[in-house]
Amino acid sequence: MSLSRFLIKRSLQGLFVIWGVITVVFGLRFISPGDPANVLLPPDVDPEVRAQVIAELGLNEPLYVQYWQFVSGIPFGDLGLSLVTRTPVAARVVAKLPATLELAIAATVVAVVIAIPLGVLSATRRHQPADYGATVFSLVGISTPNFWLGVMLILVLAVQLNLFPTSQRPIGLDGIAMLLVGGEAGAAIRGFVTWLWHITLPAITLGTYFTALITRLTRSGMLDQLGQTYVRASRAKGLPETLVRYKHALRNTLIPVITVIGLQLGTLIGGAVITEAVFAWPGLGTLIINSINARDWPVLQGSLIVVAVGFVLVNILVDALYAYVNPQVAYD
Amino acid sequence: MADTNSHISRRSYIKLAGGAAASAALAGCSGGGGEETETTETTTTGGEETETTETTTTEDSGSFDVTITQGQMPSGLDPHDHRETTTDIVVLHAYEGVLTRDAAGSIQTALGTNYERIDGENAVRFDLREDVTFHNGDELTPEDVAYSINRVVDEEVSFASPQSDQLAGVAGAEVIEGENAVKVNNSSLNPIVFSEFATYLDVMQQSWVEENDKAYIGQNMNGTGPFQLDSYTEDEEVVLTAYEDYWQEPAAVDTLTFRAASEASTRVNQLLQGETDLIVNVPPQEVQRVTNSDNARVAAAPSTRIIYNGMRYDVEPFDSVEFRQAMNYAIDLESIVQNVLGGFGAQTGQPTLPEFVGHNPDLDPYPYDPDQAEQLVEESGYAGAEIELNTPVGRYLKDLEIAQAVAGYIDELPNVTATVRQRDFGSLVDELLAGSIEARPPWFLIGWGEATFDGGLVMEALLASDGTLTTWQNEEFDALLEQAGNQSGEEREATLQEANAMAHEQCPWIFLNQQYSVYGVNDAIAWEARSDERIDAYAMSQQ
Amino acid sequence: MISERTRRNLRRELRRSLLAKLGIVVVILMVAMAVFAPFISPYSPSQQSLDNSRQPPLGFSTKETKEVTKMEDGSVVIEDGQVVTETQTVYTNATAAHPLGTDGNGRDILSRIIYGARTSILVGLFGTSLAALIGVLVGLSAGFYRGRVDDLLMRSADIMLAFPSLVLAIALVGVWGQAQAPIPDPFVATGLAPAFRSAVGLPTGMPETVVLPGTVIVVVALVNWVWFARVARGEALSIREEEYVKAAKALGASDGRTMLRHVLPNAITPILVLATIQVAAIILLESALSFLGFSGADVSWGFDIALGRQYQSTAWWISTMPGLAIVVTVIGLNLVGDWLRDALDPGIEGEGGV
Repeated sequence: MSLSRFLIKRSLQGLFVIWGVITVVFGLRFISPGDPANVLLPPDVDPEVRAQVIAELGLNEPLYVQYWQFVSGIPFGDLGLSLVTRTPVAARVVAKLPATLELAIAATVVAVVIAIPLGVLSATRRHQPADYGATVFSLVGISTPNFWLGVMLILVLAVQLNLFPTSQRPIGLDGIAMLLVGGEAGAAIRGFVTWLWHITLPAITLGTYFTALITRLTRSGMLDQLGQTYVRASRAKGLPETLVRYKHALRNTLIPVITVIGLQLGTLIGGAVITEAVFAWPGLGTLIINSINARDWPVLQGSLIVVAVGFVLVNILVDALYAYVNPQVAYD
Repeated sequence: MADTNSHISRRSYIKLAGGAAASAALAGCSGGGGEETETTETTTTGGEETETTETTTTEDSGSFDVTITQGQMPSGLDPHDHRETTTDIVVLHAYEGVLTRDAAGSIQTALGTNYERIDGENAVRFDLREDVTFHNGDELTPEDVAYSINRVVDEEVSFASPQSDQLAGVAGAEVIEGENAVKVNNSSLNPIVFSEFATYLDVMQQSWVEENDKAYIGQNMNGTGPFQLDSYTEDEEVVLTAYEDYWQEPAAVDTLTFRAASEASTRVNQLLQGETDLIVNVPPQEVQRVTNSDNARVAAAPSTRIIYNGMRYDVEPFDSVEFRQAMNYAIDLESIVQNVLGGFGAQTGQPTLPEFVGHNPDLDPYPYDPDQAEQLVEESGYAGAEIELNTPVGRYLKDLEIAQAVAGYIDELPNVTATVRQRDFGSLVDELLAGSIEARPPWFLIGWGEATFDGGLVMEALLASDGTLTTWQNEEFDALLEQAGNQSGEEREATLQEANAMAHEQCPWIFLNQQYSVYGVNDAIAWEARSDERIDAYAMSQQ
Repeated sequence: MISERTRRNLRRELRRSLLAKLGIVVVILMVAMAVFAPFISPYSPSQQSLDNSRQPPLGFSTKETKEVTKMEDGSVVIEDGQVVTETQTVYTNATAAHPLGTDGNGRDILSRIIYGARTSILVGLFGTSLAALIGVLVGLSAGFYRGRVDDLLMRSADIMLAFPSLVLAIALVGVWGQAQAPIPDPFVATGLAPAFRSAVGLPTGMPETVVLPGTVIVVVALVNWVWFARVARGEALSIREEEYVKAAKALGASDGRTMLRHVLPNAITPILVLATIQVAAIILLESALSFLGFSGADVSWGFDIALGRQYQSTAWWISTMPGLAIVVTVIGLNLVGDWLRDALDPGIEGEGGV
């Protein structure tokens, strides 16, 4: 199968999954006890007013009509109106997206920057203190609930030592980019420092699990590679050890590591949700939790669709990239 | 519109008004983090402080800018399209009502100069102030006032306002020909009409509303209040500036900014770091950080919200008066207020709060007497009862902790077992508002905010046989409320006091605490907490 | 069902690895703590003492002079809308009665951790079992029947996988509300625990029921069954072509019987390994749901962390201690998981973190 045929097939599968996601999300409202009209109306309101509001929301239409209205708007970016603020859901979700994305990216950067050197170090200094340290760190790291880690970081570094803010995102990368475009370099730099100061603790909170996971993977991958014949052969040929280690062995280790990073994207987004809750980070996670508490179904549904569809698309992308850099892989 | 409302009896709209949309009176915050304390939802209408601020003392040291940080941002800026205190606190700086209340809760005039009933009709008249201008420079006309009232009560005027029941009993308004006055028609006598107008109804400009679409009105403001809108960034901030042509002295505050932080600890940090000047809902455990800081202090006022445990009179074991009394003796309310609420609450022993009409000063809270409680349980015949307390989490100040403490005390009785069940607030409220008592939970913790400062309305909604949220039926008590409904002034007050005494003795509730509103304030600002949960920046000055 | 060779591998790996031994000890201790909670817990987890709230753990007594609010009849004193304060010296003393301190309502944190283990382990075990049951049924059917059934089942699995598990769990619990089932605690109901406690002089009045968080169990199973389905399907695909399976079918054994008798036993090893990792993942998921306040659990580590958060500037131990309990338990389970994986090498992956 060629790469393009693989991509077409993968995209069709992706479309099916996206349709499934939308249908599941549509169905969520029907398993919920309670009447959406109650969110909008006082319970003892005049029945006529109530009926009118229900009609306005389209809740008295037959199910298939409601389903069609729900589905048909999505390709055009119409996710309906919030029950509470009565503003378009899509706009609210899009407004929250940068905060979550930059948190996820910052956490990934933290993880990669720390984990890969640590994993390599651990593998090349096997059975030495550094290796034990890295092993214990990665074990504790994958076993620590990140919300608790966040609480502890706030407790020690923010509340007791007052080194970092406890929460909030006064400026985002999008805002900094606007400043740059506007030619305000000084303000942009100050903004970036503020941003960095505020994102440090959330990024560590979200990134620790991945740091630990990638450290583990890098370590075992490196150990695997260092035991391979080609490594021994290169060494025998007299190639410098650093070249052997970092060029050949590490490169081959990174391929499975990158795959796992791709696979763990869902965990990353899930982790972002709770990290946002800990740090009052104004992203999708906070939006999701607030919408559940306010029983603002359209917002919950819209956020879920954006998260899930984004996840499917990224997965297709990862697959394609993987197929591209690894032509020998069977597309199946 | 008048005839669609005519089938509502006087009694039922008193009930409705007492409900003040029960969901809103019950509601705590919508959204916010898990540990967010609460945002009450009583609503008041704008107006001036009675004492004018001494602007001359303001030093010429640059502008006086104030930032207020609440738990949430307003859901929009249309003063008639929301039911949240957070939104109200913002929009009430730009919009005003015909009447208002002073900090203690009594009725004052605002855009109106005089209010009276029209003899022989179910109508009232408001004479309006001259020389009031909207922020766009246009003069206030009686047409604007009438239009604003109709915009709330008549869905055909503009849209179905979620505030229509705040003006329960009001059928519509019209201009009195040739006079600077409006006539408000009621569907019947409506004894609480001035109370409603003192608490609710913001006046908007008819032409401005009609010329702009709904989305624009939700993003902009054009009122008569002491502050005008400078900029609004949804979910981020609202910036207001002092309106120089205000009909009273212009405000001392030059720029007023509203922001939000859902976590209480974040708000405290921002206050201490000087990033904001006034924060809402400082939880008891954060109070020390503020009092021990060098730039801020804690301000507080008893609020209009009462927290109580309802007990359904028609199910075992709560059908026994002895058992219900035992529950009140079993808890150490003083210790709960002191230790769980850190003292930020007052003990109650009747449904009516001390600031309200109808409060009975002779009734004390139940004392802590576990032996008496145990004995009363024995007398009730329900020894060995197992009961479960339904509580919302994070809706009212320390709601879960209070519920756990109450159940903990009762569980300590050797002859009762009590546990706590955390409930999703939405579904708990759905059950509480169910049409019949049978569908309501047997034992629950809930809070009720009554912005109208009227004990009669509290009891109508929560304890009358046909009350919105009642879990109790008592003919004698109903008769007292009926009687109060036909009385006014001191007579009514005395009847309501009698009703309170009866509720105290019959214990339809476990009486808990009156909630306090607790604020953190920068020391540079002179400001007093109000009991109606409003934050009035017009009353602020530099100190 | 477990072959001699497998057992040998397990034993060998256990001898070799100190960490594996440590993991097993931790897991056994945690399970024992959960099971025997009514015997060993110093107090009932709900027994409060408001006057004794926020007592620090042993070794952390403090004495501070600071501004405190002035009180009258339990309420703060307010003058002109401002809270009146006075300078006082405040002592907080740790006592051996509460070695890990007390929480905001004066409840013993050690007792709450011991009882919290019950919630975690119940959800971990029941949630994993339910997930395994659904996943194995789906996976076996998909692998066994192939074709359309396989496509349909595996595409639904893909749909589930498109939602991050925590996000889906929050949405489901948020939408559904919390259903809980109290089951009588056998040790308390039979009088064993109370008799033991009076004999050794511990306070009695332990909870009579264990609360089973129903919705949470169903939800964690719903978001995690996919991993089991994938493993079971893979095994079924490889086994269905084996001679003995074909023989069984040829002899007229029903599909269900063939799957149960021949396919399932061969898939059991990787499923067990996966289950171990999943217990850890589900315990983390439960604690996250409880932390966010969605689980409705009254005694749960995650929930206690959330309760303690509001005291982070004055009583750090309330949120610290239950978190340590989670970390220790999950480390133990992960070590056991590593041990099984190293010994059996089933080559599986599974989502593990929150």
